Formats: sequence, C-alpha cells, structure tokens
Amino acid sequence: MSQNPSNNPRQEAAAQTDDALLSKYVPAGEKGAVRGSGLPGAISVLFSFLLCFAGIYLDRYAGDFSAKVYNENSRAYAASAVPAAPKAFDMVAYGKKQFMSACVNCHQATGLGVPGVYPPLAGSDIAQGDEQHLIRIVLFGLTGPVTVKGVTFPGVVQMPAFGEVPGGGYKWTDKQIAAVLTFVRQEWGNKAPAVAEATVTQIRKSVNRDKPWTIPELMKVK
Amino acid sequence: MTATASTASPVPATADVRPVDTTARGALLLQLTFALLWLLAGGTFALIHSIQLHTPLFFADFSWFTFGRVQAVMETSLLYGWVANAGFAASLWLLGRLGGAPARGVGLTVVATVFWNIGVALAVILLIAGNLTGNALVQLPLGSLPLLLISSAIAASSAVYAWADRRNRETYATQWYAALASFVLPWFLSVALTMLALAPDHGVAETVAATWTGQGLLLLWLAPLALAALYYLYPKATGREVPCYSLAKAGFWLLVVFGPWAGTRELVGGPFPAWIPALGVAASIVLLVHYAIIAVNLGPVIGQFFGRSNALRFGALSVFFYLVLGVAGLVCSLFPLVPWLQFTYVSEARTLLMILGVFAPAMFAAIYFLVPRATGKPWAAQGLITQHFRFWALGVLLIAVGFVGAGLQQSTLFFAPNIQFTQIDPTLKVWLLLTSAGLGLQLIGTVFLLVNLGYQIAPGASTLEGGNS
Amino acid sequence: MKNGALFFLGVFGAIALSWGGVVLASSHQISKIQPYYDTLESQFYPYKQAGIAAEGEQVYKSMGCAACHTQEVRRPGLGYDDLRGWGKRQSVARDYIYESTPPLGELRRGPDLTNFGPRAVKLGLDETHLLTQLYLGSAGMPPYRFLFERQKVIGEPLSTALPINAGPGYQIIPSYHAKALVAYLLSLKQDYVYPEAQPLEPAKEGTN
Repeated sequence: MSQNPSNNPRQEAAAQTDDALLSKYVPAGEKGAVRGSGLPGAISVLFSFLLCFAGIYLDRYAGDFSAKVYNENSRAYAASAVPAAPKAFDMVAYGKKQFMSACVNCHQATGLGVPGVYPPLAGSDIAQGDEQHLIRIVLFGLTGPVTVKGVTFPGVVQMPAFGEVPGGGYKWTDKQIAAVLTFVRQEWGNKAPAVAEATVTQIRKSVNRDKPWTIPELMKVK
Repeated sequence: MTATASTASPVPATADVRPVDTTARGALLLQLTFALLWLLAGGTFALIHSIQLHTPLFFADFSWFTFGRVQAVMETSLLYGWVANAGFAASLWLLGRLGGAPARGVGLTVVATVFWNIGVALAVILLIAGNLTGNALVQLPLGSLPLLLISSAIAASSAVYAWADRRNRETYATQWYAALASFVLPWFLSVALTMLALAPDHGVAETVAATWTGQGLLLLWLAPLALAALYYLYPKATGREVPCYSLAKAGFWLLVVFGPWAGTRELVGGPFPAWIPALGVAASIVLLVHYAIIAVNLGPVIGQFFGRSNALRFGALSVFFYLVLGVAGLVCSLFPLVPWLQFTYVSEARTLLMILGVFAPAMFAAIYFLVPRATGKPWAAQGLITQHFRFWALGVLLIAVGFVGAGLQQSTLFFAPNIQFTQIDPTLKVWLLLTSAGLGLQLIGTVFLLVNLGYQIAPGASTLEGGNS
Repeated sequence: MKNGALFFLGVFGAIALSWGGVVLASSHQISKIQPYYDTLESQFYPYKQAGIAAEGEQVYKSMGCAACHTQEVRRPGLGYDDLRGWGKRQSVARDYIYESTPPLGELRRGPDLTNFGPRAVKLGLDETHLLTQLYLGSAGMPPYRFLFERQKVIGEPLSTALPINAGPGYQIIPSYHAKALVAYLLSLKQDYVYPEAQPLEPAKEGTN
C-alpha cells in the first residue's frame, strides 16, 4: 500500500494518479491485459446455479404466463386439486330472479296471486299446460276472463307483454322468458317440463301480433 | 491555478493535473450546491414525514402537508433534486477524469442544470398543491416532466462528450456505470412522460409500467452512480488493486441485463397475473451474482469504515448498505416472507435507505475527493467532515433499526385480527422515534458539509499539497 | 470495453428488451381484460365509479391517502387479509379496469380499504359517522379539519352540520370534498368473485 506520505485528510490525497489507475485495469495497447472477462471459478458456478434456480422458479410460479393465473402455486394445485368450479348456469335460479323482478308484483311470491284479480300460478293447469300457450301469454300479454282451478277471474287488469310489442313490452330476452317459465313450472309443487330457450325464439319469430291474447284465441292455437 | 501546488509536493504537480478539474469547475460546484440544497430540503421533508409517523397531528392542519403529500415531496426532492444533481456532477467529473480530456459543452451543462432544478421545484410545488401522480418513485406531475426530460437529456450530453473524447479507448468500470446512469435517466423520464403521464394505460397495467420505471431508476440510475464513484475511489485512495477486477465486466452486464426485469418483484401478491411478479423475483435471484461480484470487487472498502480517509469511510457505508439492500430486495419478495414484510415499514424503508444509505455516502465520498481538486483548496475543517461522517453513519443506522423494528412489530400485530389499527400505532412509537432521530442527525450532518462547501466555493488561492492527482 | 457504439447498443438493447417483456407484454395482456358479464344477474362487473364518488376518488388521490391505506387484498393464505375481514378473495386486474392509476398503496399504516363499503355497512358506519371520524381523527390517523368549515349558526343549525360540539353558536359543515371522499369510500367494494379470483382449494394440505 503506497500511501502518500503527506496524507492530508482535508484534501484526500490520492495514492495513485488516474493514468496509473487506468493502466492497471485498462490496457493501453490493442491486446487487453485484463482479458478473461468470463466468470472465474466460484462466481460462474454461482451464476449457473442461480440461473437454473431462476428458470425453475419461473417454470413453477409464473403460472404459464397466463393472464388468468393469479396464484403462483396454480401449477402445484392443478395436479392435485380442482380449481373451484366456475358457476354453472342455473336456469331455475335465473328464472326466479326474473320472477322476483316483475311477476311477483301480481302473482305474489307464493304463486297464489290475489283472489278475484290475479290468478294463481301454483297448481294452475295453464302454467303446467301447453308451453306453446304459455310462451304466447308471456310474450304478448293476456286479457279477458280466465278460469284457473275452477275459479273465474274477470281479467279487468290485463297481463302485460314481456316480449316486444309496438309501443311497449318488457323486452325480455328469450333466455329470460324461458327461465321464468321454467321456474314457474317447477316451483310451488308445480311439476311440468322446463321450457327451452329455442322454443321461445321460434315462437317469437313465427308469431306476429300486436295485442294481448284472450283465452278463446289461445285455445285455437295448436 | 490548479498547477500552482505547494513546492513541498512529493509528486510533480504538473504530472497529473486533469483538465476536467479546471474546465468543469463551475458546473461541478453549481451542481453540487443544488444537490446539497435539495438534500437539505428533502431531508427536512423526510423528517416531517417521519415525525408524522409517530405524531400524526404534526402539521395536520395544513392540506399541503398531508402525510401523502409530504411523502411525495420528500421522494421527489431526494431523488430528482439530490440524486440527480449529485449524479450529474459525479458522472461529469468521473468521466472527465478518466477520459483525460477537457470538459466540453460546459455552458450547456450549466443551463441544463438550472432548468432541471426549475423543473424539480415546479414538480414539488405541484405536488404540494395536490397533483399527486400516485406512482411511487415517479411522483413527477405532468406539468414538470417535459422540462425535466429535456434538461436531463442535455445534461447527459456532457457525459457523452467525456466518453467520446476519452484518450484511452479502453474503459474502466467507473466509466461504464457513469455512462449507464447518464443514459438511463432521460430514457426513463421519457417513459414516465409517455406511458405514465400523457397516455396512461388503464388499470393495473399502469402500476406495472410505473413500477418498472421507478424500480428501474433505483437499480439502473441511482445504484450505478454510487458504484461509479466507489470503483474509482477505492483504488484511487488506497493504491490497492480492485480484487478480481476481471469480474467487474460481468457484474456490470448482469445488472444491465437482469436489473430492469427485477423491479416487478415488488408487485408480488397483488392484483397482477402471477408471471409479472414471478419474473421480477427470478431476475432478482440471478441479480444476486451481481451483488456477489460487487462484494468481491468492493467488499474490502467496508474494512475502511474505521479508517482515516473521509472518502473511504463513507464508501464503506455505501458498499455495506448496497449489499444488504440488494439481498433484502429479493428477500422481501419471497413467498414465505411476503406476508410478514410486505406493506410494512421494512419494505418501505428500502427506498429511503437506497438514497440515504447507499447513494448519499458514495456521493459524499466523491465530493470530499473531487471538490478540493476542482477548487484547488483543501477542505476548511476536517473536524466538520469527521462529525458529518459520524452523524450520517449513526443516522443511517438509526433509520434502519427504527424502520425494521417498527416493521417487524407491525407484522406480528397484523396477524392478530383482534388488534385494531388504532392499537397498533402507539406501540410503534419508540421505533419510529429512532428513525426521526436518525433523520435529524443527518440533517445536521448535511449542514456541516454545506458549511465546508461554502468555504470551498469562496474565492481564494490554490493551496493544495501534492498537486491535483 | 472500448467500442462505445457497441456498449450503448448493448445497454439499450438489454433495457428495451425488458421494457417489452415487462411493460408492453403486461399492458397487452391487461388491456384485453373485459368487464365480466354475469348471466345469472344480467350484470356487468366491476361497477364504474360515477358521480360524487368519482370526484371523491380524486380527493383520495390528491390527499395522498394511498400513502397509508392499501386497496389490494391478497388471497387467503398469503397474509392476514381475509382474517382481518378485508376480503374473501384476492384483488385481480379486472377489479381495476376502469381506473386510471389505481391507488393500490404500498404501506398499511391504516386498514386496507378495498371492501370498505360493505364493511362500513356491517359496522353501521354511515356518512355522518365517517365525516365525524374524518374531522376528529383517531389514534393513528390525523384529523382532516381543512376539509370542513366552522360556521356561525344563523337561525337553525344546518342539517349537514356534524353532531359535534363546535362551541356555542358554531357548527361544523363538511365541504363538498369531504362528502365526495366519504361517498367514494362507501362505494369501495370488490365483492363479486370472478373466475380468476376464485381461491384455489388444495385437495390435501401441504401440496405445494
């Protein structure tokens, strides 16, 4: 160590000149004195080891670079466990939601309606009857007298259209209508087959009508 | 004037006078003065910030001084005030010294420096007024960014000149790191301007961009500036060789290649697809080799902590914290520890320690070495330097201990769901008081340095012993 | 290294590569995320902040609230987030698609606010409670008095006045900013479980 003899800490004496410093590390000629910029010994072992480790880390924890993987352990889980199943579409539950958003106002949550005004759905022959009729009622509405479970309702308050009619209608989708009917046909002890979305689509396409149905008119539909 | 050394000089004065000392003197002193004033301002904000941690009522009645705003102002004045100005000076001087040619374009550098500082001041004013960007480490409001971008690019031109004018085609480690830093700042600011301020990506994509930019600045701008100074000062002041210097090149390229990928490790556990933080962690794992190489090359400096050389004992502090924080960056993002360290003061302290524990000591080392050569005068008061070192070293230690203690305390209490936050806060007070004390000590230390620098800038004849080598 | 051009090209290439690999790639992936349509509920998630709550978000950011409060829940098992009742599932990128610079935060000096809306309802905290807390502060949180006005009571006290004794003849009136901030806080929720946010259930313990 060649300390400057007049080392004055107030000026930080230099132990070597810049040229001397450079000459040690930086060869002046074309051929470099400090070649071998490779990684000597221990460092290159460390480098290879950590590079492998980083590769393994990425392989295990990068979730296959998917935008949908947030848990870096998904790879480990995938082999042994089921990712919680995505919510399956539940027609009845969806139908219930529709029912609760509109139908419930008249037909009530019990499906019993209001005596003398709104006919019941629970145990109704119409509700459990021909889906062709039922879909038409929901799409275009219903007016006039109707008899359910032996009681005749005058039908002063008409049922609105849930499809699309000139100047109105709830504009429900086929899926909403199919779902609400499926719900109605299987709730409150009702036992009738589900209504398919395709059936609703087909009727909506083929029937051109701009006013509510009446029961006699419906009975002509086969 | 630089050549008029005392006659008692054992080394012929003319043998090694580097032209940069005389040609760049004005720019250097201007940049260093700005740097230290910003350090004083940033340190004051850091102290307010820290006091608000244990005494939330401190300045609570002023909307300009909410905790969040003080934090943004502190970060901005420390990073873009202190680090940038000191960095400009350090790279100008180091590249000039090793290049051996007179500095060119100094006038332009001075103008750029002035405008840069206007830009930072503008940013601080906008932040105080509430224009927070919300991007950690890149808290630069849109209004200030264009000015900062342009002036940083112009300030980098002096580095480009020094690099291009170098007499020796081969380059030394210091030159690589200084050139890297000069290049990275304008580049990352342009990313901040375009991707964060002008056309921000929506959702968390912007958080990823901000993290890449902010952490990239720490790893590829702030750290290289410190390393540039340390690679120069160690052999220069001791006369010893850098051990295993042939590794230095690998160390540099490891940082350049893997460093920019490492930033996203901070996002672990957050609302990001798993690969984004995983990439960051993987890069940080490889980056350990860089820290190992720095430990081999510069580790011996740590042994100078109790030595007499001002440059070397500050350098010791810097190398020590650089290695510790390098490992801590990875450790804080490893899954077994994430629940304990993330969102606590431990994690939070790393940025502050990068600036005050790694960068600042390295720059002080450079300042104590370069200023006498630029002015031709020895420092006025060695006593002040010694006290500066003691205050600063103790200060960093207190900050580190305070934040780590508070952070660990926090995480144990976080895991007890019945303990409310209102109960957690008072228990941290003792630790956070340590941090405030540390920041206070550092402020005093900065004043010591400023006093000494004032004497250096004051006119007077050259009285340097032994030439300017 | 003596070839300057090669040196700069190397540095440029290395950093540009990571910019592409991290910033561009994630931006590409995240920007493709669409709102999630729940067929059962006929509803898109997440909700968009609107009206006064959207203005409150600006107040939240401008005050720097994110310096102490995070808005990101980590998954159950990674930390204490679910134990503290901050959320049953982790936050995912989809939660933030409508936000510019989401205030995720980095330090938890105070509780996480991701699901503050439902939590406040559960704790019975209404707007008045929260405004009062904002005015008074608590053990760890400073008061934000500058968001309120101390006014002389003219005639009857205003209905918006806080239920606080402000001295005889005075009342404390929250500013629009204060009300917007509270509306924002009450609107915060991430309660819909997207498929990708669904916590994974290991079949056996210790499979990872």
